[in-house]
Amino acid sequence: MANYVEFNNIKKGFAGVQALDDISFRVEGGRVCALMGENGAGKSTLLKILSGDYIADEGNILIDGKPVVFSSPHGAIKASISVIYQERQLVPGLSVMENIFIEDLPTKGIRIDKAALRSKTQAILNEFELDFSPSEIVGKLSVAHQQMVEIMKAYRRNSNIIAFDEPTAPLSEHEINTLFKVIRKLKSDGKVIIYVSHRMAEIFQISDDIVVLKDGNLVCELKSDETNELELIKAMVGRDIGDTYAELKRNDKIGEVVLEVRHLETDDVHDINLTLRKGEILGFAGLVGAGRTELARAIFAADPIKSGEILLEGKPVRFKSPKDAINAGLALCPEDRKEQGLVLERTISNNVSSAVLSKVRTGPFLSKQKEQKLANDAVKMYSIKTPTIEKQCIELSGGNQQKVILGRWTSEQVVTKVLILDEPTKGIDVGAKAEIYQTVCDFAKAGLAVIFISSELTEVINLADRIIVMAEGRITGTMTRQQATEENVLKLAMHH
Amino acid sequence: MAELATSVKKVIKSKMFALIMLLAMLTTFMQFGTDGMFLHPINIRTILDMMIITGMLTIGSAMLLISGALDLSMGAVGTMAGMLFAVLLRYYGVHWSVAFLICLALAAMFGVVNAILVNFARFPAFIATLGMAFVAEGVSFLFAGGANISLSDPFMRALATGRFMNNTIPFSILILLVFFIVYGLILSKTKFGRQIYLVGGNPHASRLVGINPRKISFILFINSSMLGAIAGIMFNSRVAAATTLGITERQFFGLIAAILGGVSFGGGTGGLGGAFVGLLIFSAFGNGMFLLGVDSFWNQAMFGMLLLVSMAFDYLRTVGWKNIIGRRSL
Repeated sequence: MANYVEFNNIKKGFAGVQALDDISFRVEGGRVCALMGENGAGKSTLLKILSGDYIADEGNILIDGKPVVFSSPHGAIKASISVIYQERQLVPGLSVMENIFIEDLPTKGIRIDKAALRSKTQAILNEFELDFSPSEIVGKLSVAHQQMVEIMKAYRRNSNIIAFDEPTAPLSEHEINTLFKVIRKLKSDGKVIIYVSHRMAEIFQISDDIVVLKDGNLVCELKSDETNELELIKAMVGRDIGDTYAELKRNDKIGEVVLEVRHLETDDVHDINLTLRKGEILGFAGLVGAGRTELARAIFAADPIKSGEILLEGKPVRFKSPKDAINAGLALCPEDRKEQGLVLERTISNNVSSAVLSKVRTGPFLSKQKEQKLANDAVKMYSIKTPTIEKQCIELSGGNQQKVILGRWTSEQVVTKVLILDEPTKGIDVGAKAEIYQTVCDFAKAGLAVIFISSELTEVINLADRIIVMAEGRITGTMTRQQATEENVLKLAMHH
Repeated sequence: MAELATSVKKVIKSKMFALIMLLAMLTTFMQFGTDGMFLHPINIRTILDMMIITGMLTIGSAMLLISGALDLSMGAVGTMAGMLFAVLLRYYGVHWSVAFLICLALAAMFGVVNAILVNFARFPAFIATLGMAFVAEGVSFLFAGGANISLSDPFMRALATGRFMNNTIPFSILILLVFFIVYGLILSKTKFGRQIYLVGGNPHASRLVGINPRKISFILFINSSMLGAIAGIMFNSRVAAATTLGITERQFFGLIAAILGGVSFGGGTGGLGGAFVGLLIFSAFGNGMFLLGVDSFWNQAMFGMLLLVSMAFDYLRTVGWKNIIGRRSL
């Protein structure tokens, strides 16, 4: 099966922005082609054209040399193309098996053949080494498992061309390994595989070829075994960013204990003990679902605590709501920017001021000047890329959205002592990540105590002063940056 | 010059401009259609006369919609309060001011129950308030045994029907304007108002910035019930009788006016300025249909169509023709 896909002079513009400008390249069957580039480089647009969601302004797609024309996702599926997006497209109220076979449910007369459906699904589940039942309701599965269902749905179609858009973002190491096993199998079957991800390590693990996009242009095509991380980053950002971690200006003055947690118990985390000092970056590593987010939410009083004590600057505190926690000097930048972090339809300025509305008033009324000053300070401090502070947050890129949230908690009007960052670099491109690392170090220098939660091992063990590893709601180990290696952290993270 | 051009463009693309254009077009059409009767001062007064009832319901609905909820019991609670008001005055000789406060208190209790059902029992607002609407309707039957009660308190009647400046401007429209201005200021200029938008836009995120969405929800449900009660009492004072039909059906007029005025069902967007223009469009439309001699049976259908057409236009304005035609799938 010597098939291939060729993108031929693809152009696509949106309201004055050229999202893709004359993109041509070819992906061979039996190889994995990684599509790389910063946010906004045009990767997603290209995948949407491949899936029939968008129609190219110019150019076409050739499969085995024959131009294919389709005008809907349905047409693309018929042409044996499956695109798996970051946003899961599942029906949450239906079972796993119904979702996987949603387009052609096996029937017996007019009834759905449940037995066949179940056994077919079970076979796929076995292949993916997943241990949930085919009749499990999708809405009740974890985000990671939902992602796996989405992947199995495409897998089951047996398409010849499969594209993955950041499939591993919500997955833990174990699930990533299974996914890679599946991808390698698809590859040996001669399928055309396009793979989009921001994670460097993965790219070198799974891909054969790399296509780099930047601002809608094709920068270069590389062979994975002939290039390295530095060269790739340079191609993506258009400059040499060197060794990010070695260049960080870190804080070396760690002060007294600010936050102490003793025997904390909630529904999700058990017997948590920890201390956090002024100027310290405390990293939290662990697999998805290890309880890190839940711990952060419990400390911030977003979720209820069953027992245990929290001490802030030596005094026991009992917050009833996030409001109390904020007043005491805690700040949380949540994991899910869109769902929990921002009010997307509101402006940058409204989002920055949202936590300090009492402080931007003149008399009983909100003061536009005071609010704008706050927002302008944030835009300047974090170099948020926007023409105006009156832009809606929904229009910003992921990195800029994250900066708006950081700006909210570090304005001159809030007294933040403990800053909790939950996956602050998730879905953010390389250039913006490096900026956020330095920002975190600057927070520590300014005397903030920082909790840094991340599922990217490299990031946690290189940025944090101390690393706490969690597994299944418990702390399984604590170590300093010097002691930490990817191996020993991972071992503790998989601890049972 | 370029700056002027962009700001003109911005105005033209704004929701408010579209609304005012719609009002202007409607007015022109009605004016010609009725041979100048429509804009005659007496007719304008007629339009203004009745606006306070729908207007109060519009304010209550708009505030709740912006916070991401809705209250289908406002009208029925208003009818109930209006009935209790009449009963207290006629059968118990209670002074109007005391009766008024008692009615507001009863309405507030309905608001509290709505808020408890939505915030603690986690009922969808639609179901909770629909249920409470039937409860309120039942209670108003109980108050009067299903009968109509005449109501003739001179002060209330003067408030609801009185006019000043040579019998031209109704008191009630001034009261309504004050309400719109005060609520408008609260919504657009105060911390509380901003919190309503933030909660409506994203309740999870607002909780994590220290806002208490439940507190906001309680205040707004109590507020909408009380505005409903005011509307109900004003209506009964105007028509000099309390009936079990009351303003129950007008509840939907308030909702339509708010939505016409750009308050979205999804929460977090719109404002009282738009809602006021929506109210004007709605009132002018109803009156114009009557003047044109359109069969009153058709009126209801026309209101429905007005709402659907204006929503379709709003959708086109925000999404743009090109994108709808160019759009492939949902």
